[in-house]
Amino acid sequence: MQAEAEAGLTRIVHEVRGIDLGERTSFSAGHLTVGEEDALDLVRGPAFAEVRLGCTSPGDSVRIVGVLDAVQPCSKGPGGGGVFPGLLGPAMPVGRGSTHVLRGAAVVAAGFLPRAQEAIIDMSGPAAPLSPLSATHNLVVEFTKADDATWEDVDAALRRGLVKLAAHLAEAALDAEPDAIEELAAPTQSTSNGKPRVAVLTNLQTQGKFKDVFVYGRSLSGGLPTVISPNELDDGAVVSGQFGHPALKNPTYLHQTHPVVAALRASDDLELAALVLCPEPVDQANKELVSAHAARLCKELGVDAAILSKEGGGNADADVTLKMDRLEEEGIAAVGILAEMAGRDGTGPPLVVPPTKATAMISTGNYDHRMTLPATERALGRERIALLDQPSTDEIELPVAAIYCAQSTLGWGLLTCAETV
Amino acid sequence: MRIVHYVNQFFAGMGGEDSAGTGPELRDGATGPGRKLASLLGDEHEIIATAICGDDYAAGHPEFAADLVVQARQQGAEMVMAGPSFTSGRYGMACARIAAAASEAGLPALASMHPDNPGLGEAAGTTVVESGLTARQMKDSLERFAAAAGKIASGEELTAQDGRIGPVARTNRMAQSNAAERAVALVLTRLGGDTEASEIPLPDFDQVTPAGPVADVTDALIALVTEGGFVPAGNPDRLESARATKWVRHSLEGLDSAESGSFESVHGGFSTQWANADPNRILPLDIARELEREGAIGRLHGEYLGTTGNGTTVADARRFGMEWAAELRQQNIQAVILTAT
Repeated sequence: MQAEAEAGLTRIVHEVRGIDLGERTSFSAGHLTVGEEDALDLVRGPAFAEVRLGCTSPGDSVRIVGVLDAVQPCSKGPGGGGVFPGLLGPAMPVGRGSTHVLRGAAVVAAGFLPRAQEAIIDMSGPAAPLSPLSATHNLVVEFTKADDATWEDVDAALRRGLVKLAAHLAEAALDAEPDAIEELAAPTQSTSNGKPRVAVLTNLQTQGKFKDVFVYGRSLSGGLPTVISPNELDDGAVVSGQFGHPALKNPTYLHQTHPVVAALRASDDLELAALVLCPEPVDQANKELVSAHAARLCKELGVDAAILSKEGGGNADADVTLKMDRLEEEGIAAVGILAEMAGRDGTGPPLVVPPTKATAMISTGNYDHRMTLPATERALGRERIALLDQPSTDEIELPVAAIYCAQSTLGWGLLTCAETV
Repeated sequence: MRIVHYVNQFFAGMGGEDSAGTGPELRDGATGPGRKLASLLGDEHEIIATAICGDDYAAGHPEFAADLVVQARQQGAEMVMAGPSFTSGRYGMACARIAAAASEAGLPALASMHPDNPGLGEAAGTTVVESGLTARQMKDSLERFAAAAGKIASGEELTAQDGRIGPVARTNRMAQSNAAERAVALVLTRLGGDTEASEIPLPDFDQVTPAGPVADVTDALIALVTEGGFVPAGNPDRLESARATKWVRHSLEGLDSAESGSFESVHGGFSTQWANADPNRILPLDIARELEREGAIGRLHGEYLGTTGNGTTVADARRFGMEWAAELRQQNIQAVILTAT
């Protein structure tokens, strides 16, 4: 029993209710002040000609354009050691001890990167309920590339800068009175409580530069599924470097706060048994291999059911549905969370690659559904929306596909789709 | 009501595949199956004209539908009927487009086809009733078609009981709980023995039988087609990098190779760095020309067809496929090399 308790993670929660820029980073009574010069110094480097910071809060008439990644501030103590392993801390297993998190805050990067499809966050208006980052107090990092730097340099420097900022901000709360203390048990192999055991299968996109996700600082590309503790997510074991398909994006923030993991932790009826991270290969043969291997792993783990998520567009449907079929063949109930791509009028087939044996699916809505977003007073990230060739603050019309995380199949959102009655 | 009835070149008695490139025309009175349809419609309704178009032409020129509807209106049409097209894909697509164009123009409209007809996906915004599988079921199909037309003419909505088929629109809405919580609930439902519960219906995909091998490739006309976002430098057609709604065609005449600077890829699903360094990696024009010179293939077609396959809806992809097939058949292409990325 003692060993099990020690294997868990204590999450020390500080609720953020306001944010601004100031002289020194501090956290007091829910208000986060970001020391501008100290924060800029954490990001500045040879890849950038300039780095700029902006703040925005829920309800502001602000549009963030060209959103890249978002990170929840967290810290295990001064100096940033222990969080974001392989990137900030040493590449050693995390997920034990205690971690301070600033709930309700995020560090967001926005600007141009190659292959990044333009993602939008509106902090108010009809798109606000569609993004988890519309509900957070955001420190937005804007940047200009140095002439002699490559875009790959910029990408790597941004990723390091964001996690450094995230650790720096949470350090300001180390001595603050927490709003909540949450004990997160480590999954065990025990079946003694009689509850059905559920694995969480999270597919990570592995499509090369600007479309990759890092586990302990490494891409899963070319590898096989791997099992880690869900508690490792809270310490930033998974960091996103994937900038395609805005609505389907799973940023670092959503890995840190993994909604399926959270829903299973909260369930009285089901046991969170394991987290299985899987690469999304680009070719069919390897999609089949990874799927069969993931199902075997789940069989070995003795789970009764699995919930699956993907990242990316149509081809990534196969990474979910092939696994669902292989799991069902192993006698494991499979539920896939998928986004629909049913065309503007919603009459097209919803999936590119449907399952052939499994049937149970949750919908995060139709990607092609169009929305009109009102003009905003201010924009962060980019001055123009290249996709529409319009100023970022204009009234715009675009598909849900462009709204950051609107359909993330990690399952944070309320958006779904149903037949018109 | 005064009705214009649409049939393809075959049912108009103009010939089969050899006449599939025939352009649109309007002919007075009922033709082919329209004669039987006219008698089933009774005295209250009259087929005043027959609209006709070749299947390949209709697939390659979507504007034929709006043109024919304008002509039908000029003739005083009050309603448009199209088909039955059974399981014939290009004919079904043409019927769906005619009916959709008429509906958009504010005329009551109705198409008839089998539920497996891939043209059904094009019928958004209009009404379709079920036909039999083949023209052997012409009589039953026409009876159902005429009965449905009578209902539409009297302003009634068709239901499944009338044989109504067609795409059902799915629309976005907000659920009571988040997707993760709904997934957890669905696990419990599923473990409770329910194998039906799902928020997404399984789409019903058609299976395509591949064409037989080309008898003599040294005598064949070969086309290059691609979904690799391959465009002339500068992307003059503004082909989309994702969620493409169109395809493009460009000449390859006089070109020995797809040179960097002349062509590029705008595909949003992969890094185009290596494609742009040598665009032959997407459209293998250099090797195809070599094979042509060696006599390993008969001849290379003078243009390529291309789109972007990245987040494309299945409905759009299916439409591109039917349009390409019609276009390539009209050009007497025996085989294509489709490079996928």
